Amino acid sequence: MSRLRRDPRAEREAMRIAGGARPRFSREASLPVSARPRRDPRAEIEALLVPGGTRPRLDRLSRGGVRPVRDEATSPSESTVQTRIVTEPAFLVAVVPDAPGGRLTPLDRQLFGAAHLLAAGGGAVLALAEPGHDDLAGVGADRVGPLAAVADYDPEARAAAVAQALESLNIRHALFAETAEGGDLARRVAARLGEPLFAGAESLTPKLVTRPARGRRVEQRRAPPRLVSLVADSVAPYGGASCEARAVELPAPVPTTGAILSAEIILADPATVPLGEAEFVVSAGNGVSDIPSFLDLARALRATPGASRMLCDAGLMPRAAQVGASGTVLGATCYLALGIAGAPQHLQGITGCEHVVAVNTDLHAAMVERAGLAIIADAHAVMPALIAALEDEP
Amino acid sequence: MKIVVLFSAGRHPASGAPCPVPVELQALRLARDLAGADEVIGLHAGPVDGAPLDALGHGLGRLIHLRMAQGDDPLPALAQVLEELAPDLILAGRIGQGGEDGGLLPYALARRLGRPILADAASLGAGDDGTLTVEQALPRGARRRVVLRLPALLTVHPAAAPALPFTFAAARRGTVERRDIAPAPAAASEMEERAYRPRPKLIARAAPGASAAERLKAATQAASSGGRLLVDPAPEEAAREILAHLRGIGVLRRRG
Ligand SMILES: Cc1cc2nc3c(=O)[nH]c(=O)nc-3n(C[C@H](O)[C@H](O)[C@H](O)COP(=O)(O)OP(=O)(O)OC[C@H]3O[C@@H](n4cnc5c(N)ncnc54)[C@H](O)[C@@H]3O)c2cc1C
Ligand SMILES: Nc1ncnc2c1ncn2[C@@H]1O[C@H](COP(=O)(O)O)[C@@H](O)[C@H]1O
Repeated sequence: MSRLRRDPRAEREAMRIAGGARPRFSREASLPVSARPRRDPRAEIEALLVPGGTRPRLDRLSRGGVRPVRDEATSPSESTVQTRIVTEPAFLVAVVPDAPGGRLTPLDRQLFGAAHLLAAGGGAVLALAEPGHDDLAGVGADRVGPLAAVADYDPEARAAAVAQALESLNIRHALFAETAEGGDLARRVAARLGEPLFAGAESLTPKLVTRPARGRRVEQRRAPPRLVSLVADSVAPYGGASCEARAVELPAPVPTTGAILSAEIILADPATVPLGEAEFVVSAGNGVSDIPSFLDLARALRATPGASRMLCDAGLMPRAAQVGASGTVLGATCYLALGIAGAPQHLQGITGCEHVVAVNTDLHAAMVERAGLAIIADAHAVMPALIAALEDEP
Repeated sequence: MKIVVLFSAGRHPASGAPCPVPVELQALRLARDLAGADEVIGLHAGPVDGAPLDALGHGLGRLIHLRMAQGDDPLPALAQVLEELAPDLILAGRIGQGGEDGGLLPYALARRLGRPILADAASLGAGDDGTLTVEQALPRGARRRVVLRLPALLTVHPAAAPALPFTFAAARRGTVERRDIAPAPAAASEMEERAYRPRPKLIARAAPGASAAERLKAATQAASSGGRLLVDPAPEEAAREILAHLRGIGVLRRRG
């Protein structure tokens, strides 16, 4: 093999310091120069420290994730009520949440987490949202830019306002939600500014964003550009100290004349909407034997009926109504379970449901544990009472 | 009413073979149902016309193919031809399949043509004096009925009516008109491409500072912790509690 042959005598000679009676050598110049940055284990441990508590605790799971801010200014006694304050941000990272009806969705919270990743190193996170939102400081907005509320459905006016804010405040990154509404807004803003949009990013770090392309056969990656839209469940929401949510001035919007003459929302018919898309599902399990009464209840609540596998196997409910691992995985906001034990296969179908209400005779059923409101009672007594209570209402 | 449907060079997500994008074929059906077969023109800009040719079999009478080199920007060519054709309505897919798949082209095109754009059309109906009624698909199966002044550009949602079936006779009847256009090289992008690798979805919703036990709990149990428990209430009281809870969440709709 042709390895270079070392010549120790010549190497020693190169290290010799000239002059002096005694031979002296310096190793300084001959140290190998490596391109790899030198690790600083103390600083790394410091960054993993979880605030609060008397014993030091390290969180190694959130690799590159959102780090709780450790505020040097506050004394340890007030460490429970610290706020993150960025007085002079070096740059701004904007978040444009969807927030239908003023409520932040889980994806909106994740956008703030992503924005804090990008804002590391002196940046501040700016929320561009219509006024009247729940707790923007808690989810991680350092600044809030109040967008003018658009009365009717006029996406182009909203895009114009966002584009104007991005231009005038000189924003480094803007994050959008890749949903029907947010994706539409992001593309309109991109077309207005004439800039590329990194649509549907699936992972995001300050150095790299990735997205699928060519029918999900290749992954495109680059340094984060100015406009990025993010898919759900790719970045953790911001979990650090509460932020300041200071209001900033936005320029007055220029009025646009849209081509939309009128718009009205037609709510989905809960009886025909597919189970996976339904917003509110009422489900019956083996504890319910009075199926007609259950279907009446679903109609009265305007919810989509579902069932556990036991009822579908028995032929009491159609197979399309089955909720669970081998049925439909729900995307519903609320799930009302009547007489369902909560087998793991069933619970897998409702992991995405934000709110669960259970009616069961068994105090120790898994579904009761999962529920936000659990009623230990006979479902056959509760169902008629519910129908009656709904009929009494104006 | 003159309608142009935009076809991109689709690829099958599993095999990678050229095939039309399903949502563009649905757009074709919407256009045919609205204006009749003779008023619909297909438009494609690209190096080869493989995948869009299949659209002929799904009921497209005439396809205009703008020939350009691989990697050129289709936007100027499409804009130029659309200005010539001056259709009342332009339909595009919501998002392509096999190319960049960003769904940006219809927006950039609408901006360049100075037309309004509306996303996610699920069904169309002609209104009176130059208006169009569009049912827009919203999440959770809801619809928004929008009345729009023409000319306009719409993108079509997969919830629209299914595409017409492929028939061999229609594929043979349809005509293709090929045009050569001035090259417009696309701006260099710093995008790097690799084989796709699915990324793990985030499940644990606990804050990053939480302990391991808290994270496990967040992953397996209720998102809304601190559940309330009522043991053996009277049925009426149970019903009242449930309705108050549902109303607090905001899922209960008022009747009317
Ligand atoms: C491979 C595989 C896949 C599966 N996939 C699914 C799936 O996708 N979906 C699914 O649902 N199941 C699935 N299962 C079945 C699952 O394991 C359970 O058997 C099933 O979910 C139990 O249904 P249940 O809770 O309705 O019935 P049970 O387990 O019989 O529970 C009935 C519950 O009702 C309560 N009850 C009884 N009487 C009353 C009353 N009068 N009022 C109120 N409550 C009452 C009881 O206390 C009990 O908690 C699967 C199983 C396997 C092996
Ligand atoms: N080269 C092209 N020629 C014609 N139409 C196109 C072309 N590229 C994209 N489109 C249209 O734009 C839609 C969105 O494409 P994309 O922006 O690539 O996701 C597609 O569904 C097509 O309707």
